[in-house]
Amino acid sequence: MFLHNYIYRLKCLIRDKETVFWTMIFPLVLATLFYMAFSNIANFEGFSPVKVGIVDNQELQENTNFLRALASVSGETAAADDRELFIISYVSRAEAEALLQSNKISGYIYIEEDINLVVKHTGINQSIIKGFLDDFKQTTSTVMTIVSRNPMVDQGLLINTIAERREYLKEQPIGMENPDPMVVYFYSLIAMACLYGGFWGMKEVTAIQANQSPQGARISLAPAHKMKLFLASMLAATTIQMGIISVLLLYMSFVLKISFGGRLSYIILICLVGTITGVTFGTFISSVVKRGEGLKIGILIGVTQILSFLAGMMYDKMKYIVNTKAPILGILNPINLIADSFYALYYYDSYNKFFTNIAYLCGFIIGFSIITYMVLRRQKYGSI
Amino acid sequence: MVITVKNLVKRYDDLIALDHFNFEVKEGEIFGLLGPNGSGKTTAINCILSLLKYDKGTIEIYGKPMSPDAYDLKRNIGIIMQNVAVFEELNVYENIDYFCGMYITDKKLRRQLVEEAIDFVGLRDFRKFYPKKLSGGLLRRLNIACGIAHKPKLIILDEPTVAVDPQSRNNILEGIQRLNKEGATIVYTSHYMEEVEEICTRIAIMDKGRIIATGTNDELKGMINSGEKLTVEVLKLEHGILEGVRGLPNVVSAEFYDNLLIVKSTKGKNNLVALLDYLKTKNISVGKIYSEPPTLNDVFLEITGKELRDQL
Repeated sequence: MFLHNYIYRLKCLIRDKETVFWTMIFPLVLATLFYMAFSNIANFEGFSPVKVGIVDNQELQENTNFLRALASVSGETAAADDRELFIISYVSRAEAEALLQSNKISGYIYIEEDINLVVKHTGINQSIIKGFLDDFKQTTSTVMTIVSRNPMVDQGLLINTIAERREYLKEQPIGMENPDPMVVYFYSLIAMACLYGGFWGMKEVTAIQANQSPQGARISLAPAHKMKLFLASMLAATTIQMGIISVLLLYMSFVLKISFGGRLSYIILICLVGTITGVTFGTFISSVVKRGEGLKIGILIGVTQILSFLAGMMYDKMKYIVNTKAPILGILNPINLIADSFYALYYYDSYNKFFTNIAYLCGFIIGFSIITYMVLRRQKYGSI
Repeated sequence: MVITVKNLVKRYDDLIALDHFNFEVKEGEIFGLLGPNGSGKTTAINCILSLLKYDKGTIEIYGKPMSPDAYDLKRNIGIIMQNVAVFEELNVYENIDYFCGMYITDKKLRRQLVEEAIDFVGLRDFRKFYPKKLSGGLLRRLNIACGIAHKPKLIILDEPTVAVDPQSRNNILEGIQRLNKEGATIVYTSHYMEEVEEICTRIAIMDKGRIIATGTNDELKGMINSGEKLTVEVLKLEHGILEGVRGLPNVVSAEFYDNLLIVKSTKGKNNLVALLDYLKTKNISVGKIYSEPPTLNDVFLEITGKELRDQL
């Protein structure tokens, strides 16, 4: 009988097009939209060397320090060292002016008595060029001041020492992957999708509760143990939601190329725990809310969206704000815990954070299940 | 006894839905529970089936107390609820198979029973249809098939013909009689007295949560004074003649409107002859003449003082 119920509940769930849309299609569409939006952000945030014109005249050739400074931030050597700031075109003043007018360069530099910068309008690229020139002028001024006060100093060594930019801090990722703030959005989206398993849980409780649907009343009259029916329903709900989460993961991983850190068994574990959390969340809402199905769905969607927001799905800094200002909200938020678990797998070598989150989620599952059981175990009703 | 209900009391806050409700259903009968909407029929059925809590009383089915865990009893009961209880996502065959599977675990036997149920309700051509594609009548038939596929010994039908077209209604009523002939005991609730009169071997009439009369169709009609209703078409009738009709032996009431003289009389012989003789002596020409035996509505009217039809 368990298998009979499981198979038929699975059929009922798979054929419920509306719920399939919300649990599967909606997260897929949202993931695609995130990908499109965040790709542009990533492109925007990525640095491209600034195209700049240098007027090649006698003054330039005589200013070897400036030529050396330019060489340090342009050309193949700089590119190889990831220090390339400028793509330089050495041209005449007229050519530089023409390039500037046709927007092929962000600005041009010419040296007469002083080093001058000509730009067409202000912007980030223009600020970068100006910043470079200011830095060079300040360094040159420093050298000149020192030399004027200490004529015996070795000018070449001094210039090299002052001009040298040495990094004393080295970026060292603490995990296997470089941090990528964009994954927060996708991980919280998966977490939200897990909690959307609540739609299935809600539907299953409605289907077997005599006071919630005619079907539930009819099933209650059959010679079947209610808890066995409920377990078959829960298994069917978990099965379909796991399938949906798998589709979402595969889509994100293979189509959108979102990284999950590669620890497959742990990814499956968090998906399973997240899915069960979602399904039991739905059974919990359906059990305790006595009003109509519309209200229940509204509560499920509303709560899920608020939790998703607090987990950083709409604004990635929110996660940081919650964790610093009210960390308890992070622990009480299943979506945050699921998203955090993905992030822990992606970013940390250690599993401490991952398993701590799993433990919290299991706490939610137990809590939701106990409350659902307390309501479902009732077999007679005051009114139906 | 198949069902024994004693002193059942069910309250919804201040409203008494069942007021010391008593009835018994014997093996092999079609027991009709007739009453207007809100009289407590469905509440009584839900209490009997242990869906609803009740305040007082005892319920036994096949001599055993009924409870939500009485799976042995439930296995022998088929339920057709007032609200159609099928799943929109399953087709006709799957719906019947799903509910039948809660009673019958043997797949081969179940397949055979499901096919028989499909034929029984005449849904052979619709077995792959989903419920939303079925008409109201066909949906009711599916609801019935889901309740009877496992061949229960006791079948409870709660208003199975509500909002059903005449063809489907006849199909359903014939089916119920066939199920009874095949050995099932039937409990049939309805507010349609014609249906109850047509198929039930014994009837209980309910009002305000109480059984006000129980018996066979004839026994119930025998409980009241009204014997028959005589309708005579006449062109004109003076008041004095109408008073004369009212004074005839066995006449309970006489009314004249729309060229129809309607006379209700107590049981007695030759009431029609006496009426026609009287009209002849007064030189009243008569047209069409009808004689109707008393109905369950008359029974309800005489006992409660109100029309059963008015309550629908």
